[in-house]
Amino acid sequence: MSLLRYTLRRFAQAIPVLIGIVTITFFLANQIPGDPVDIMLGPTPAQEQVEAIRARYGLDRPIHVRYFAYLSSVATGDLGLSIYYDRPVLEMIILRLPVTLLLMLSAFAFAIITAIPLGVISAKRRNEPADHVSRIISLIGVSTPSFWIGLVLIIVFAFYLGWFPARGLVLPWADPTNVRGAATQFQVIRQSMHHLFLPMIGLGTLQMAQITRIERSSMVDSLQGEYVKLARAYGVPESTIVRKHAFQVAQLPVITIIGLGLSTALGGAVLTETVFGIQGMGRLIITAINNQDYQLIMGTTLVFGFVYVVGVIITDITYSYLDPRVTYGDE
Amino acid sequence: MSVNSATSDDDTPDDGDESGGPEEVEARVGLRYTLKQVRQDTTARIGTYIVGFMTFVAVFAAFDYYVLDYAIAEAVLYNPETDPENVRRLLPPVGMENQFGQGVMAHPLGTDHRGRDLLSRTIYGTRIAMTVGFLATAIGLGGGTVIGAVSGYYGGWIDDVLQRVTETIYAIPFLVLVIAFMTAFGRNLTFAMIGVGITAVPVFNRLIRSRVVSIREEDYVEAARAAGVKDRNIIFRHIIPNSFAPVLVQATLQVGVSILIVAGLSFLGFGAQPPTPSWGQMLSASRGYMLPAPTFSIFPGIAILITVIGFNILGDGLQDALDPRINN
Repeated sequence: MSLLRYTLRRFAQAIPVLIGIVTITFFLANQIPGDPVDIMLGPTPAQEQVEAIRARYGLDRPIHVRYFAYLSSVATGDLGLSIYYDRPVLEMIILRLPVTLLLMLSAFAFAIITAIPLGVISAKRRNEPADHVSRIISLIGVSTPSFWIGLVLIIVFAFYLGWFPARGLVLPWADPTNVRGAATQFQVIRQSMHHLFLPMIGLGTLQMAQITRIERSSMVDSLQGEYVKLARAYGVPESTIVRKHAFQVAQLPVITIIGLGLSTALGGAVLTETVFGIQGMGRLIITAINNQDYQLIMGTTLVFGFVYVVGVIITDITYSYLDPRVTYGDE
Repeated sequence: MSVNSATSDDDTPDDGDESGGPEEVEARVGLRYTLKQVRQDTTARIGTYIVGFMTFVAVFAAFDYYVLDYAIAEAVLYNPETDPENVRRLLPPVGMENQFGQGVMAHPLGTDHRGRDLLSRTIYGTRIAMTVGFLATAIGLGGGTVIGAVSGYYGGWIDDVLQRVTETIYAIPFLVLVIAFMTAFGRNLTFAMIGVGITAVPVFNRLIRSRVVSIREEDYVEAARAAGVKDRNIIFRHIIPNSFAPVLVQATLQVGVSILIVAGLSFLGFGAQPPTPSWGQMLSASRGYMLPAPTFSIFPGIAILITVIGFNILGDGLQDALDPRINN
């Protein structure tokens, strides 16, 4: 019960931040030079036509009226109409968001699965060769641009070795009839994983490196803790100490860094989608900007912020769930 | 207890022993102390060499560009911006071969899609990366210091308002925020720099604010306040100088982060505009030729990697060198 209440409270606390995001995106989008109507109708439109369009998209009203109108329509889940595509923004985002989320989730899964063993080994064998190797990997990981990793992966694994496709993404839940070369759902899933592999590594490497660094330093601290000394004094085997006593406590900072890494990863998704030609949220925002489709720019920016805020809340809840010291305020 | 670079042999440098001895009274803050610690820390020293070298290249490139109009580049190598007369497109590095021909000594790293020398473009790309890295960090540092100091020192509603605003900025993934910012104000390098700087404000704000909150109650700050020193002077003369070490570490790491973000922006077409050589934009151009001329995509990336590694090693080394817990 208290966990549920904590969750609800965290969501309530996020509301001002979400309003802030709407405000920032609204005023940034309104700064965009060039009149969207000009872009739609060409250089010499008829006056009535301009006015009709302005009225249709609500552009004839003063800015503060539009701001509050936008705020209230966002609150009801309406993100407006895309000026360029003449389709509801929310509808376009719903098509693209799963692609980006799939990419993000797989990248974080890759990062966590590789980083935790690397960090633990590094901490356990501190200053031994294994530690040096793991630290070189993580140093290179935090210093390499994700899009360049993507390019190198394409050159090596798609063009040179031909193991993975260089472009595009198939969603694992896609209808087999719409996927070339797939007859069953299982084949669709296989194709999807095949496509996802390189982008996942490209996007996940930075997260992997950051988690490894935190995992290592957190484990080093944890292995020097009093409870570890006590367990050793009782003759508990070293492997049990690492696995049970030190490891669990050391995961709390790791969860924090995963939450903070979401922001970098969402930005990285824009680059990774560009490199691999994946039609997700990242490509959508770039297309929106190139078309000066400012309703779509606002909507996509907003959803990026929203995904981040929800992600941080999820990591906070995981944190409080795992940390026995955190109470939910009413215990 | 930071993660040190792999090049260091020891996690806990034993060279801090001489400082802070009973007969030697030296403040553990300030520039001179920092330089001394850096000299004694292997990791920090290697980082300093890389950063120093890249800074030198950048200054040289800037001098050649602004003052000499690429006279040195043309005399020694090639002009990085103009297309050559007898175009030899997409040549591989020397000693290699591709469908466009064989690598030649004249173009050690090969040529790009317009026949321009890749070595020269990679060297002159340093200018953009370093300028943007340093200036964006300076903007973030300046903004974050003022907001964090004011917020932490006064507390109350000022703190609440300022922290909610920076929290909101932090809540938009920063690449997306910078892209939206640049679309609104201008798609050029100046706004890329300002945009990346703004995304760094929350980082420094958080750091400075926490320092200020903990230092605010120290005896010497109390004493200064009792003696009638103005708030502004207390913040800028006492509190901020005492936060020098962690800020320096963060700023060093932030330069690396900024270089990565700006490279990403240029890759998406939001940074330096052609023909100005910039690493991100070179990588963007190389995308069309990954199959016939894969080496085109390699060198700008390596340049980014080495530069950012330099700042990361230096930042980690500084942290170890300046961390009193390790030196004691």
